[in-house]
Amino acid sequence: MSTSAPPAETSASVWTKEDQKASRKANAKLHRKEYGWAAAFMAAPVIGWVVFLLFPMAFSIYASFTNWNGIGNMTFIGLDNYTRLLQDQYFWQALYNTVFYMIGIPIGLALSLLLALALSRKIRGRTFFRTVYYIPVISSLAAIAILWQWAYNGDFGLVNQALALIGIDGPNWLADPMWAKPAIIIMTVWKGLGYSMLLYLAAVQAVPRSLYEAAALDGANSWKRFTKITWPMVRPVTFFLVVTNIIGGSMIFTEINIMTSTGGPSFSTASLVWYVWNQAFRNLSMGYATAMALVLGILVLIVTAIQFRMNARNDFSID
Amino acid sequence: MRKNVLAAGAVAMAGALALTACSSSGADEGTVVGDGEGVELTFMYRGSDYDKAAYETAITAFTEETGATVKMIITDADQYSTKLQAAIAGGNVPDVFYVDPANMMGYVYADVLADLSEYVDDSVVDNLWDFGVDAYRFNVETGERGQDGDPFYALPKDVGPFAFGYNTVLFDELGLDYPDPSEPMTFDEFVELAKALTVDMDGDGELDHWGTGLNVTWNSQAFIWGAGADWISEDKKTVTVDTPEFAEALQWFADLGLVEGVTPSVEQAQTLDTYQRWMAGEIGFFPVAPWDIATYNAVAEENPDTFGYAMIPYPVAEEGDDWSTWLGSLGIGVSADSENVELAAKLAEYLSTDLDAQKTLAAGQIQIPNLIDYAEGDWITTDATETGWPENSQIFLDIAMEKGRPLPATYTYTPEWYDNFWIGIENVVDNGSVTAEEFLAGKQEEMQKLLDQSWTSADAAKAQG
Repeated sequence: MSTSAPPAETSASVWTKEDQKASRKANAKLHRKEYGWAAAFMAAPVIGWVVFLLFPMAFSIYASFTNWNGIGNMTFIGLDNYTRLLQDQYFWQALYNTVFYMIGIPIGLALSLLLALALSRKIRGRTFFRTVYYIPVISSLAAIAILWQWAYNGDFGLVNQALALIGIDGPNWLADPMWAKPAIIIMTVWKGLGYSMLLYLAAVQAVPRSLYEAAALDGANSWKRFTKITWPMVRPVTFFLVVTNIIGGSMIFTEINIMTSTGGPSFSTASLVWYVWNQAFRNLSMGYATAMALVLGILVLIVTAIQFRMNARNDFSID
Repeated sequence: MRKNVLAAGAVAMAGALALTACSSSGADEGTVVGDGEGVELTFMYRGSDYDKAAYETAITAFTEETGATVKMIITDADQYSTKLQAAIAGGNVPDVFYVDPANMMGYVYADVLADLSEYVDDSVVDNLWDFGVDAYRFNVETGERGQDGDPFYALPKDVGPFAFGYNTVLFDELGLDYPDPSEPMTFDEFVELAKALTVDMDGDGELDHWGTGLNVTWNSQAFIWGAGADWISEDKKTVTVDTPEFAEALQWFADLGLVEGVTPSVEQAQTLDTYQRWMAGEIGFFPVAPWDIATYNAVAEENPDTFGYAMIPYPVAEEGDDWSTWLGSLGIGVSADSENVELAAKLAEYLSTDLDAQKTLAAGQIQIPNLIDYAEGDWITTDATETGWPENSQIFLDIAMEKGRPLPATYTYTPEWYDNFWIGIENVVDNGSVTAEEFLAGKQEEMQKLLDQSWTSADAAKAQG
């Protein structure tokens, strides 16, 4: 303990209560304006959160228990919308389709990681390739959907022409219930590749070279270096991409609406959000649509929570 | 009403903020026609440049008479109904706006649409196509539509007669006699002609011309009706697709491609859809609607060696059967909450019935005139030909007057029951994996359930107001 510092009780006896009060008053006066500004700045996001998130969310929960057509008054009907939902085969079909589309997530991640690894090397034209793979990300989704609609043409589409070169007689993609969903998946993987690749590229390049050098000295081969260094080090990016892709994938709509405007052959491509939109705005069942949207939201929440839990278990650090 | 305010907040947050400009100007209540100085009405619609030009003509006349100004709000066709619904829920309903007859019931129950009966003279209504008014007639108590004397909640923007046509150049090339424009063909006669039109013109072993190529969702109605079948009973309460005549007609339609081979295959239709093939001179029979006329005329002018067209009645199952086809419409309604309902109703009347505006729209080859006296008078005798309409455009007027029928879901609260019919239809029409009879056996029950639900929802909407 330092001998120069006065004992606590000595300081307190000098700094009287009146002094403290006077100081607080002076400070309050001095900082009153700043407090006001601080409160205003803090209030903006809070008000925004309440108005644009909390209130709509609470309203949606209430609406899901009502028979509301979106334009008239609401009538509370309890769990009727949820009961209807359980018996609605098209809800389950749309949910199944939406989950099926998630197959594209691991495929997309694997491909984008491979691309990132390739484009992180000093290869000729890598800037060009990085740009090329990113172009679909910034392109209009509607335009891309129309483009792919043409590419999937059963007779002379680009996809089947390419398959014909290797002797494969391609299916009538969007008109065939068996192939319509894979067709949408291929398109969405292609569209999202550039974004995932860019994030992986940044993560791969941020891995300390010293780790690879040490591993090389220890005799680790390329596969070992990938599985023991690269993969763990890019795991936060993988986690981020999985979570955001699941959330984004659950909201797939534009592609479906443009490429298969009636929900595809035998309802084979209708996503849940497409069905929600259809019920809300075409069939004037806003209450029912809200119930479906809430169920979807809860499912996404559960899946995301599981992801967070699994990620927490896998946390590691480099000492 | 309080709940509406609550709804307004939520929907506004969901993206309807852009529609804040849709509200009326806030002029004093009780404004009467001829005393519209200082009043601004809003008119929300979707349409082409011709619509805009025609409406500017009508609005100029309206402003000259009333002194009121009109702010036009145009939206994309795809987004129109969603934006309108958001505007309604957000409490920012335009004074005057387009309304789809299929959505009208819900709008009336929600007190969105004003009853126009008291604002529009009978002489004006009598001069409009019956369907153009009946589509917006609605009895709130009984839920019935289109009954004479009931209130109407919109005036027609147009009526859309969906006629049938054939390629005159192709008929000439193959030395075939033109079909009779005054009597419908029977199904057998139609197939016979379609087979004669399905040929390999260049001798390369591949078909390059087909009898027809009809999209089942939009083109099968006239054939189903022509066989005496229908999707729904007259009182709109029972789904009637399980009748033998319906199954026979649907199977006959499917067999045009599957058995008779007079349509391009699914793959061929996907490569170049039948609408494009028709304009390329590869299809013998195809629908012709007023909104197609400008395009078809341009194609005929550019390619006189491959494309020319004329119109005929739709085929019927047996000789002597009555033919019919669908007749659509879009209405112009007035907000019940407008502060100037009377003035807004006057604007709707101008937009729907102003003679100069109707002439502009007809000259633009996008719709037939709404006014019967003009359509059956100067228009059909001189103006139609002078502005490029086909010689036998009388068929459009026949459809508007007596041969047209609304699409099956037009008079029900929601179209879900009717939309359901098309789920899986490709298995009947495209690949023939199930017969029409098998398909329809399961469909009736499913559609009936949805139709019942639609009426239950209508009753609930009525009760809620």
